Amino acid sequence: MSSIRRSTGLSLLVAAAITLSACGNNNAGSANNTASGSPSQGNTPAQTAAATQEPAKQTLRILSGVAGGKTPEENEQFEQEIERLTGIEIEIEKPAADYSKKLMAALAGGEKYDLVYMGKTEMDQLVEQGVLTRLNDMIDASAVLSDPEVIEPSEWDLVKYGDGDIYSILNKKEGGTLPTVRQDWMDKLKLEEPKTLDEFYTVLKAFKEQDPDGNGKDDTYGLSTSGLYDIQGFMSAAGVKYRYVIDADGKRSIPYSTEAAVPVYEWFAKLYKEGILDPNFATNDTAKMRELFLTDRVGMVTYWDAWVGLFNNMRQTEDPDTAFVAKGITGAAAPDGSFMLRRGDPSVWGIPVNAEHPETAIAFMEFWHSEDGNILSTLGIENVDWTKGSDGSYTLTETGEEHGMDHGAPFPSSTKFVNPVGTLPGAAEAREIIFSNNSTVELSTADWPNAEKIVQNYAFKAMMGDLPAADAVKSMNAELKSAGLID
Amino acid sequence: MPRFRQHIGLYLMFVPVIVYFLIFLYFPLVRGFTISLQEFRMIGDRPFVGLEQYKAVLGDPFFWQALKNTLWIGAGQLAFGFAASLLAALSLGEVLNPLFKKFNQMVLYIPHLFSWVIVGGIWIVLLSPDGGMVNELLKLAGVEQPVHFLAEERYARWIMIGTSVWKEMGYTCIIYLAAMTLINPSLYEAARLDGAGRLKQLWYVTLPQLVPTMKTVFVLQLLGVLRMFDQLIVMRNPAIYREVDVLMTYVYEQGIQQFQMDIASAASFLIIAATLVLTLIFSRVSRYDLS
Repeated sequence: MSSIRRSTGLSLLVAAAITLSACGNNNAGSANNTASGSPSQGNTPAQTAAATQEPAKQTLRILSGVAGGKTPEENEQFEQEIERLTGIEIEIEKPAADYSKKLMAALAGGEKYDLVYMGKTEMDQLVEQGVLTRLNDMIDASAVLSDPEVIEPSEWDLVKYGDGDIYSILNKKEGGTLPTVRQDWMDKLKLEEPKTLDEFYTVLKAFKEQDPDGNGKDDTYGLSTSGLYDIQGFMSAAGVKYRYVIDADGKRSIPYSTEAAVPVYEWFAKLYKEGILDPNFATNDTAKMRELFLTDRVGMVTYWDAWVGLFNNMRQTEDPDTAFVAKGITGAAAPDGSFMLRRGDPSVWGIPVNAEHPETAIAFMEFWHSEDGNILSTLGIENVDWTKGSDGSYTLTETGEEHGMDHGAPFPSSTKFVNPVGTLPGAAEAREIIFSNNSTVELSTADWPNAEKIVQNYAFKAMMGDLPAADAVKSMNAELKSAGLID
Repeated sequence: MPRFRQHIGLYLMFVPVIVYFLIFLYFPLVRGFTISLQEFRMIGDRPFVGLEQYKAVLGDPFFWQALKNTLWIGAGQLAFGFAASLLAALSLGEVLNPLFKKFNQMVLYIPHLFSWVIVGGIWIVLLSPDGGMVNELLKLAGVEQPVHFLAEERYARWIMIGTSVWKEMGYTCIIYLAAMTLINPSLYEAARLDGAGRLKQLWYVTLPQLVPTMKTVFVLQLLGVLRMFDQLIVMRNPAIYREVDVLMTYVYEQGIQQFQMDIASAASFLIIAATLVLTLIFSRVSRYDLS
């Protein structure tokens, strides 16, 4: 009996161990399957072409994070519209959430897509792992994609590796993030657009204390953010940029961990202490931050330029008589009067090395960057999102109004494209601020996820007043150094 | 052999079970272990690197921080969860009104039915400095500045322990209550004849009779310690990462977010080894297998 019990105990142990390993191993197992079912590494066009000697069929399987309809039903209409416009039979998979995980899991599991949408982080990982096809020759051979008026050379620079290798095609022209203010509250309280941290403090304090929404309650905050995303508009005052800076000698530093950032952390600590900064700022996600802005709880947020237009569109669609006006502003100026804003990482399309129809994928990308493609990626589907009058004018339908002129690329790359409906209120002005104020992409490395945790930890301590800003920065810097994350 | 032939039908019925476990558990386990010895690539060759990934994990200060957090939070959940559920069961066992008892049992049990997404969301709202119930109560008690519980490192681990105990207490309590119904009534009768009051009956009859159940509950909770994940993923945020990142979130970040499957697999197998060691120690100390 005793031995039976003993063996039962042992069985329990083994079962527990196996159950425990399930999480990691399912992924690992599926990942391993890829090796057997995929071509060996080698992602030059010649090899890809060799692997697809039969004439390219006009069919395409796409994994998309943004391009497509807003609902599953509209996604089908989107596919039909592409087929109507291009003759390409298309299948778009557009996961509702967790896109990046779905992308990685699908590719590791051996799924074959002709085109995959991704951000820069995923692109870096996939290039490093040899998953993406090198596209330089295909791009050079394409009259559309190599046209500098369609995709500017400086944009291509954002996606180049090593000696100029390109593994992806840009989806759109990315904007950036900037402080977005309730202009109607500014007007109501007779406030001037702030340029320095002190002026920002005055405005934000007024939003907190002078009942800008007029409901007679002390229920507004001056500023809300979603963690450190994105305080760059204020760090601009100190001339420091988020993530890594690598100098000519290859020495890595993180400017947010330098003494230069101290006054800005102290400024945030003052806002937090006085209740001007949304107390949930450290735990907010961006959706929560947006909700606060749209529901009259906060006077300023920091977010994407395109969202200035979307904020206005949402409120005006909901209530045409609303006084709500969102406006993008430049952020805080450095002592020399310059600004240092954040340009978004490029979002791109890549062709996996196991794609069955790479030539068709290029044909689709040429369409995506054509006039018709630009209309589809902005306005959406004809007769669903918009209609065309006999005089050639475009009018958004009610559905199109709701969709906010964004079906994957609200601002296409092509410099030739002019949105026939015009941009959403305030969006173009916000975009102009990004492109005329030294807005650059942030530099990340493989170490950044670990470094970011240290930066966030001490930055929050400083901003919430748990540690004097100078001490927080000193500790942040020391810890980054001892972990080998900066030089 | 004749006995095998006699029961061959039963053995055949067991074949699908064996096949299921081979395909869905042991096969991924072996593949995962293989990956932990390789330099992982999604496509192409995967060179064997021996124990390099294990060395990388063991040399990563974030792994050790995650281990420390896991043991800290796990020990708290074990200690307080174990004590709270036992106390609740003993208290409910003393309730004579069956309706009141069932009502309380239900109230205690309900949080277990919800996923951590719901429970975490509830507590995030309750603890919010912007109108959260806890801060409103503190305000009534004269506290002027709202406390941002979920963004303060000093509270972070305790909140994870407290909310976990709150969620799971009712479930464990029911296991104890079920065990209590199996205690022989004659033991209580004998105790009463010997002059034992309710407290002494509890101490000398109920508790000793619950020891085997306690051991089972403890070992189950112990096995869960190194696997805690859902709660932390839902309730953690950048302000408290350092205090609440646990081994499973480490594996998740390495494997799913950074897609370093080799590192994640190595970390997984270290966790498996740690679980085996923990369980063996408990088994040896408590003589669990003999209870």
